[in-house]
Amino acid sequence: MSSRGGKQKKGNVTSEQEEEEQPLQAVLVADSFNRRFFPISKDQPRALLPLGNVAMIDYTLEFLTSTGVQETFVFCCWMSNKIKDHLLKSKWCRPTSPNVVHIITSDLYRSLGDVLRDVDAKNLVRNDFILVYGDVVSNIDVSQALQEHRHRRKVDKNISVMTMVFKESSPGHKSRCEEDDVIVAMDSKSKRFSMGTDEFEIRHDLLDCHISICSPQVAELFTDNFDYQTRNDFVRGILVNEEILGNQIHLYVTQDGYGARVSNLQMYDSVSSDMVRRWVYPLTPEANFTDQQGQGCTHSRHNVYRGAEVSLGHGSQMEENVLIGRDTSIGANCHISNSVIGNNCTIGDNVVLDRAHMWNNVHISSNVEIHQSVVCDGAVVKEAVHLNKQCVLAYNVVIGPNLSLPDGTVVSMHHPEEEEEDDDDEFLSDDQEVGHSKDKTRQKAFNPAEVGPEGKGYIWKASMNDTEDEELAQCLWGLVLNPDPESDSESEASEESQDRTFQLEVLGTLQRGLEENIVCDNLVLEINSLKYAYNITLKEVMQILTRVVLEYPFQQQGTQLTTLQYTGSLLPLLKTWSPVFKNYIKRAQDHLDCLSAVEELFLEQDTHQTAMVKVLMKMYQLEILEEEAILKWFSTGATNDKSRQLRKNQGKQRMSLQRKESEEDESSEEGE
Amino acid sequence: MGQLVNSDNRMPGADKEADLTERIEAFLADLKRGGCGTGPIRGSGETARETTALLRKVTAQARWSSAGDLMEIIRKEGRRMTAAQPSETTVGNMVLRVLKIIREEYARSRGSSEETDQQESLHKLLTSGGLSEENFRQHFVHLKANVIEAINELLTELDGTTDNIAMQALEHIHSNEVIMTVGRSRTVEAFLKDAARKRKFHVIVAECAPFCQGHEMATNLSKASIETTVIADAAIFAVMSRVNKVIIGTQTVLANGGLRAVNGTHTVALAARHHSTPLIVCAPMFKLSPQFPNEEDTFHKFVSPHEVLPFTEGEILSKVNVHCPVFDYVPPELITLFISNIGGNAPSYIYRLMSELYHPEDHDL
Repeated sequence: MSSRGGKQKKGNVTSEQEEEEQPLQAVLVADSFNRRFFPISKDQPRALLPLGNVAMIDYTLEFLTSTGVQETFVFCCWMSNKIKDHLLKSKWCRPTSPNVVHIITSDLYRSLGDVLRDVDAKNLVRNDFILVYGDVVSNIDVSQALQEHRHRRKVDKNISVMTMVFKESSPGHKSRCEEDDVIVAMDSKSKRFSMGTDEFEIRHDLLDCHISICSPQVAELFTDNFDYQTRNDFVRGILVNEEILGNQIHLYVTQDGYGARVSNLQMYDSVSSDMVRRWVYPLTPEANFTDQQGQGCTHSRHNVYRGAEVSLGHGSQMEENVLIGRDTSIGANCHISNSVIGNNCTIGDNVVLDRAHMWNNVHISSNVEIHQSVVCDGAVVKEAVHLNKQCVLAYNVVIGPNLSLPDGTVVSMHHPEEEEEDDDDEFLSDDQEVGHSKDKTRQKAFNPAEVGPEGKGYIWKASMNDTEDEELAQCLWGLVLNPDPESDSESEASEESQDRTFQLEVLGTLQRGLEENIVCDNLVLEINSLKYAYNITLKEVMQILTRVVLEYPFQQQGTQLTTLQYTGSLLPLLKTWSPVFKNYIKRAQDHLDCLSAVEELFLEQDTHQTAMVKVLMKMYQLEILEEEAILKWFSTGATNDKSRQLRKNQGKQRMSLQRKESEEDESSEEGE
Repeated sequence: MGQLVNSDNRMPGADKEADLTERIEAFLADLKRGGCGTGPIRGSGETARETTALLRKVTAQARWSSAGDLMEIIRKEGRRMTAAQPSETTVGNMVLRVLKIIREEYARSRGSSEETDQQESLHKLLTSGGLSEENFRQHFVHLKANVIEAINELLTELDGTTDNIAMQALEHIHSNEVIMTVGRSRTVEAFLKDAARKRKFHVIVAECAPFCQGHEMATNLSKASIETTVIADAAIFAVMSRVNKVIIGTQTVLANGGLRAVNGTHTVALAARHHSTPLIVCAPMFKLSPQFPNEEDTFHKFVSPHEVLPFTEGEILSKVNVHCPVFDYVPPELITLFISNIGGNAPSYIYRLMSELYHPEDHDL
């Protein structure tokens, strides 16, 4: 026995040692599971799109390797073959690579959740791992975060399941993705994501780097909760169930380093410019960290980078922040600033490029002007073409000559409608293919007004209807560049309209209740369900209910009622619906709210002000409202307005009279 | 250990070779990532030692039969190493030293004297005599052992450089002097500490923004109970009138006797010249580089602008261009004296040291 015990002990020790020495693993999701880069990503998966002439996935792998990751699982779905080819050729798959890359492909992944469920199913991770997307550019040293994470896990037994890395950056920073704008509530001491603890700070100066350090439980949790699709689902789930399951999420806030995810073209633009401006040092263009032959370039003043064999024409200027790939030739009298130009491009004379992103093998003729646009591989821009801001020329598009593309034009060789067909036809047979290609030939008539007389390509925006149009613009360039100054008011307006529809619904419900003689309990049920459907607070429900009931006679018989008629029809209604009221009006505050709603209504209907006394009286008799509440409302409400005061003074006499009566009534009842 | 392996070139197994390439790759990756912001994480002395040790491993394990082959291999690896971090000149310097060692050992094996091919001259160019590449084909059994022995000697020399420089401290620092230095240099630190054992003096450290390595330097000096004052870089000129001597370190000594040193050194040098204060540079021999100052890309090193204008600034960053260079060029006429591990030299004498250390044919790899 003792020997066995000794063995066990030994076993334990070794396992602990193993835990210490186990290689750090990472899960890299080389798929975005969305279509933000369509139609560009139709030809090339997002992870392979060049950023500063290097595929984005290389930045991510370099980041992982430099933080000491020794084993990386790359999960690909869309165009997995291309990613696989790229990785096999890259330095990551060389036998000397310190980071062993395993490529796992499947067409069945539809979300991050699927990937992590697969990680769990295949039992790939044994210890804490780093979870990143294939489009994260970062030089953050996460070893500190990793240490903190491990320490936390050791101290309180696997309670912390995830540490998310955030970078400090104040609002308004151009590398903050507007879509990702986060407000984080954290426990200041333990750096825990908190919901409703006693002491926490709320921060809006954080940038989500989309780097998370996960415990192995994360994969299991994804399996357990099959409805988790994204990391946000996961975080929400953990926080909501924190009390029950006891899992916690922590964050790591860093000031140094750089970390951002290229989630849309806007981010692409800013990350690329940050990279050229050397914010991601040592991941700079001239470092040639991918270790590929001929990729090296030189760095000179004003952040001008030139690859090998670049030729620059007479009088051409590279002003600042320019990166030019190898074998690119530039004509005379060009002005280039803040641009990235790929390999093997030719650029004519008198070309102006500003914030242009040109990928490989692009041909630009003379007298072209390009501002803040993306020109993909193999595209041709003919003479005297103007690309205004946020244009996108996808693969192999030809534009021009003599054309000016308006802001935000997206041109692709794929017809926008072909897109949907593709989705349906994905698994269909060859016959369909033929039909399809016929379709294509039919569509092949390019519109010369759109893409120029010699142009090839379809405009994506113009051929879509308006709503989708907006959506696409948002998709590609993100929300920032289409700032919606009215959005705030819009949301308010929508809220108001929501109130309005809720009111109508309540009215409808009550009407039906009257006609079909539905029991009040059921009415309450219906109103409650409406409340949830429209996300309306209890207070508003009560006020709207009061309003609806009081307006009911007007609704039914028109506004030309006399006060007498009005009260005549209203009072029986109040009587029938009093259980409904009683259900909602319970606390003292509710009474006051109800009264203020009544007051508001009668202020609007000033001809029927005298009816108010009767209404209040009736409500009091029906025990909807309490006496003290009415009196309190009286004393507070009187301070508001002169006219109101007058009215109330009038009413007061009657009220007090009637109150006495009622008191007598009550006392007599009691007496009985 | 590798010294006993003779030149049987079939011995190193495939795994050994894989191990070698792995180590080289790791070193390259280290170089590439090294020097985030505050300059190299390890001192250049350590880099020099590591490079030399790696080259010794290459010599011992790579497949070569003649000196020419070996030189070609070393050159190839050297090119990759220097390309990995062009600003780290020590790596290139050590490659050149090893090449020179191979040449010398080959010449000795052949029995010819070293003196004959010491200097490039017009006459020699015309007659194209001496040892050219074709002549390195001869096979010598003991060449490998000899080369490795010589590299070991070089390593011993490298180990002792800082001590050798520090030993000269008492000749230069006298009692009650006020000495200024800038930033942090391991060599200068050792130099001052050595002097502090016998003499009492006052050190003024310019903090060297934006990385402020001066703070660390000052802490280390004060721990060795040296009277130390930290000043802002802007105060350098104002304080200079009180200073008796300026002692600085450098990243590289260039072929013309100028320096490539940490940012702010040029300011110090100009202020010292204005006040006719002697400027002494502590530089071990392995920092001597055959590179001349020019506008070439490898001369400068720009790091992340984070230290100048933090990323947290927000909106302003999209409107400005921020640069954060690491090095200054200090022209040779501002320098009074170099103190190296082999003694003190004037800047004008650098050319001579250069020809002793490196072979002219190797200057560009």
